[in-house]
Amino acid sequence: MANTHNERLKRLIYQTLLIRRIEERVIELYPSDKIQSPVHLSIGQEPVAVGLCEPMTARDVLFTTYRGHAYYVAKGGKLPELMAELYGRKGGVSGGKAGSMHLAAPEVGMMGSSAVVASTIPHAVGAALAAKVRGDKQAIITIFGDGAIEEGVYHESLNFASLHKLPVLFVCENNALAVHTPLRERQAFDIVTHAKAYNINTTVIEDGNDLIKIADTSAKLLESLRSGGGPEWLMIKTYRYKEHVGPGDDFDSGYRSRAEMEKWLATDPLYRWADLVKEMEADVKSEIDRAVAFAEASPAPGLADLLTDVE
Amino acid sequence: MTHQAQPTALSYREALFKAMHDAMALPNTLVFGQGVNDHKGIFGTTTGLGEKFGKNRMIEVPLAEEGVTGICIGAALNGAYPINIHIRADFVLLAMNQIINLAAKYKYMFGGLFDVPMLVRLVIGRSWGQGAQHSQSLQSLFAHIPGLRVIMPASSGAIVDSYAHAVQHHRGPVISLEHRLMYDLTFERDHEPTVLGKTPFSQRRVRKGNDVTVVSTSIMSLEARRAADWLADRGVSCDVIDLHCVSHIDANVIMESVGRTGRLLVADTSWQPYGVGAEICRIVCERDPGALKAPVVTLGMAAAPCPTAKSLEDIYYPNLTTLTDSIAKLVRGKADHGIELPHERSMADVYKRFKGPF
Repeated sequence: MANTHNERLKRLIYQTLLIRRIEERVIELYPSDKIQSPVHLSIGQEPVAVGLCEPMTARDVLFTTYRGHAYYVAKGGKLPELMAELYGRKGGVSGGKAGSMHLAAPEVGMMGSSAVVASTIPHAVGAALAAKVRGDKQAIITIFGDGAIEEGVYHESLNFASLHKLPVLFVCENNALAVHTPLRERQAFDIVTHAKAYNINTTVIEDGNDLIKIADTSAKLLESLRSGGGPEWLMIKTYRYKEHVGPGDDFDSGYRSRAEMEKWLATDPLYRWADLVKEMEADVKSEIDRAVAFAEASPAPGLADLLTDVE
Repeated sequence: MTHQAQPTALSYREALFKAMHDAMALPNTLVFGQGVNDHKGIFGTTTGLGEKFGKNRMIEVPLAEEGVTGICIGAALNGAYPINIHIRADFVLLAMNQIINLAAKYKYMFGGLFDVPMLVRLVIGRSWGQGAQHSQSLQSLFAHIPGLRVIMPASSGAIVDSYAHAVQHHRGPVISLEHRLMYDLTFERDHEPTVLGKTPFSQRRVRKGNDVTVVSTSIMSLEARRAADWLADRGVSCDVIDLHCVSHIDANVIMESVGRTGRLLVADTSWQPYGVGAEICRIVCERDPGALKAPVVTLGMAAAPCPTAKSLEDIYYPNLTTLTDSIAKLVRGKADHGIELPHERSMADVYKRFKGPF
């Protein structure tokens, strides 16, 4: 049993590490201007994606946001196609037309990510409706930040999902920031109390670094969706280490302190299981090297691609 | 789908009902709208379909235009064919984020990984005091955006054929603007305009002629047919093209006609700036401005929000008289063209019968 637990933890740590090192490679490559796309890095928030995706099958459909690198990887998207997409190359998952903010991998249930806050939440509700109408046991998951909760369409989506008892899991990744504006300056209400008002079950995970707890909770909630229990709502508190967009740190910009991050570093699984991480580094590095090499070798799209797939 | 004997005449409303019925007969169709299952059933175009096919697929919606449009997109991405109905086009403005930022871009933005097949039905209001927010003709807004297919069916045949094509063959989002004043008009199958292309979304020829090209949209295609009939008896021959699909215009159709007539008049249901008339002019000017023997004439709504008072509304829209007069002036090259004009106002017989509230 202990061994099984260990294997599972290793898989989760590996995924978390892989995402972190991909993001760090992006930072490393960014000054070269090979990645000409705004990047919203997942660093600090990777365990949320890894935990949530563990119990999902490729048929379970996930809708996420422009901070989507972690979900793309955690859901099973291919690394070379990710890197080539960031490079704007033909070999990218969307042939370079998407870039960092619009990652997708439909073969593993990763639907298109949008740069417009909250805009994919109703897509999950609609996908859940389609699944329910045809009697499909698919689970549908939508990921959004605490800022999305202020958008009207979030309310419209919760209402419809609850009214029709749809198999959709709403997940709020709460990093308490919308760009640089803290939650307390934006919301006059309590997020959880508000969600409960729609007669949807709510669950809160205070530590977004607790991989096992997130994965177990996700498994339980997805099972509830599949058994026809109606929508579920989950909030996971987490922390964005990097600036909102771009490769840098911004602790000297005045809106937050480094001490805040250090609190989260204390439970960061990649530090907590530093010995496991050490064993995995070489494999992770060679996986990323291969992806970067693929991107470097992939040709740029051109005139022949400009007007394809418009309609 | 089985092909039954087609009736020889069908009202626009009956055509819409048939289109909705045929769509619902396919198991993956979902219809969303405020009032689809109520006693009025979107002016009778969805009446009874919820009972027949199930209210889990004929879905009464909360007042949440953006959310419902997003739900349609998500359903389309997961294998359904959604049809979203707005009983007034003006309400779709609440859903523009989903239509423009998501539905229109989903295929291209993800490099062809996804299709978003869906139909949005928008009803344009006119007459009986619809006022500024129940009367807008928003085709230019949508047609400006790559990724959207915008149609304005101007006959029962155009409805039946285009909606069947949208539901069964077209893999992208279609925005259809239906004109409320056509709902009670009956169209004879033998008098349907000729489709000038390979699909039901193609342009249509309403009447063949050699003196002037009249390109028109929606209810203005009906006005143009009446004007052309009137003028034919008075020695003016009009080539009337119902644009039907305003987002994808076959330039060859326009240029072939203008090449024969040398004169162009565009009659649209909306405002002129940045509108259909401007787009037709772009097509002609970029290809062969020398084909024109006279300056282009465009007709549309007055450059103001729609007034409610009948006396103002009567002069807000171009009518049969102004349209006929404009064509005659263009063909004869002078204001004093000497051609008798029809006395009746634009579609006056229809308007007189039309009693609100819608």
